[in-house]
Amino acid sequence: MKHSISIFWRLKDNHYKIYVTKCRDCGKAAAFKRLRCPHCGSQNVEHLESRGLGELINYTVSYYRTEGSEQYLPRVVGLVRLDEGPVIVGEITDVDPNELSASTRVEAVLRKYSSDDPNGLIYYGLKFIPIIKR
Amino acid sequence: MRTYVVGSGVTKVDRHYERNYLSLINEAVNKALADSGLDISDIEYLVVSSAFTDSILNQVDPSTYIAQNLGFRKTRALTVSSGEVSGAVALDYAHALIRSGKARKVLVVGFEKMSEYPSWIINRVYSKILEHEIEGIKNVSPPEYAAMIMQEYVRRYGVSREDIVKWSIKMHENAVKNPYAQLQFNISLDLLNRALRISEPITMLDSHPIGDGAAALLVTDESITKKMNGALIEVVDIESSVNLPIYLRDDITYFSSTAAAYKKISSKNEIRLDKTVAVNVYDTYDIYGLLIIEALEICGRGEALKCLDEMPYLNIGGGLKARGHPVGATPLYQVHELRELMSGSSWVKYDGEISLAHSMSGPDNNAWLILLRRWV
Ligand SMILES: [Zn+2]
Repeated sequence: MKHSISIFWRLKDNHYKIYVTKCRDCGKAAAFKRLRCPHCGSQNVEHLESRGLGELINYTVSYYRTEGSEQYLPRVVGLVRLDEGPVIVGEITDVDPNELSASTRVEAVLRKYSSDDPNGLIYYGLKFIPIIKR
Repeated sequence: MRTYVVGSGVTKVDRHYERNYLSLINEAVNKALADSGLDISDIEYLVVSSAFTDSILNQVDPSTYIAQNLGFRKTRALTVSSGEVSGAVALDYAHALIRSGKARKVLVVGFEKMSEYPSWIINRVYSKILEHEIEGIKNVSPPEYAAMIMQEYVRRYGVSREDIVKWSIKMHENAVKNPYAQLQFNISLDLLNRALRISEPITMLDSHPIGDGAAALLVTDESITKKMNGALIEVVDIESSVNLPIYLRDDITYFSSTAAAYKKISSKNEIRLDKTVAVNVYDTYDIYGLLIIEALEICGRGEALKCLDEMPYLNIGGGLKARGHPVGATPLYQVHELRELMSGSSWVKYDGEISLAHSMSGPDNNAWLILLRRWV
């Protein structure tokens, strides 16, 4: 995958942070900063920053090799229900898949997404790890 | 004006290492022309569909180069690209040209060359059907959604993961009788444990293969109504609907855009599907096949597996699972197979008056339906 500094800079709010778009008209919410409510099309929306905490509700251990993903396989991809309500898709990392289960509490952490060889540009973004019980 | 399919042709879906896209297209076009009795100089519009030519062949607008290389001297040419539903959208464009009276003879050509690079490069290209700025950039890929959907289906309806392979077994049985299918062999459940894992629990037994192919349909108005074995196949209607992304859906086991498109097309045309109507659906993964026949109201929610044995005209060409999935061409393969079925040229006899082709991009992100009717 070719990497673009400008594309990724613009996407920083959706990959360095997690925002929730909340609709003042229909009351529904959706993950990511959006121009309009995806449920009803209203532009009367507000953007709230998520705390990045949630519950894993579904996941898969993936061996699907795509160019640039080799060093990360197998990887865990899952759906996380944020404490603010909406569901977000993302990678679950730093985890033994055998110790995971749906309902695991997770938190967002900054990790490497991919690098653009040979130029060496790296995309960093949020993945999820199980919350360590202290 | 009504739209009729008066000629159709396809190549075998395969890894055609020795042939380029023009060669595959030429074969499909020759078959469609011979079938219709028309000549290349009769064609007013060439509508080309392909999903990935830019990424795989470094070629934008292949229609121009198809026209130049295959001798279309008087034809208007254009390319339609709309992910995995490109072929359905191309046929809709042709349908609109005919219905409006702007053209009377349109050649729709779909193709894809999926085997030009190793699978991991093609897998990256194929993943572009998802949203790059959200999913692609995180390396989220189509089979990972299929895996989560299968798990949710198993959990919700208490069916076994092994039973879902029944779909794939049936598709391979059909493909054995389709000379153009990519995977012309039978499979059995005992292969499941040894099958290459793609994304747990999805394996190679659940997924479509990677292959090349081209398909051509010659569509015309009523001035050219050449029958095939005494039957004439009409494109009655084409409908579609867009869904929310998977992670915003309340229920990932319900394909609501397929259901919405079906509600539109069934009420407009006063038709209803049942288990005896021929349907050709997008089983990119076997679990999707089940969800589609439920969304089309052929089977109740969670009951698709119980219906399979009662559906003799389901994906008679072997589906994406076993006929294969040359992406830009796949909806045109579906229409070709239904046309052969409805005109008595298939391996199974069908008396029904209508049939339906279903295609979709990603997991029901954009679902398209093509309704065909037979006139005798
Ligand atoms: Zn809204």
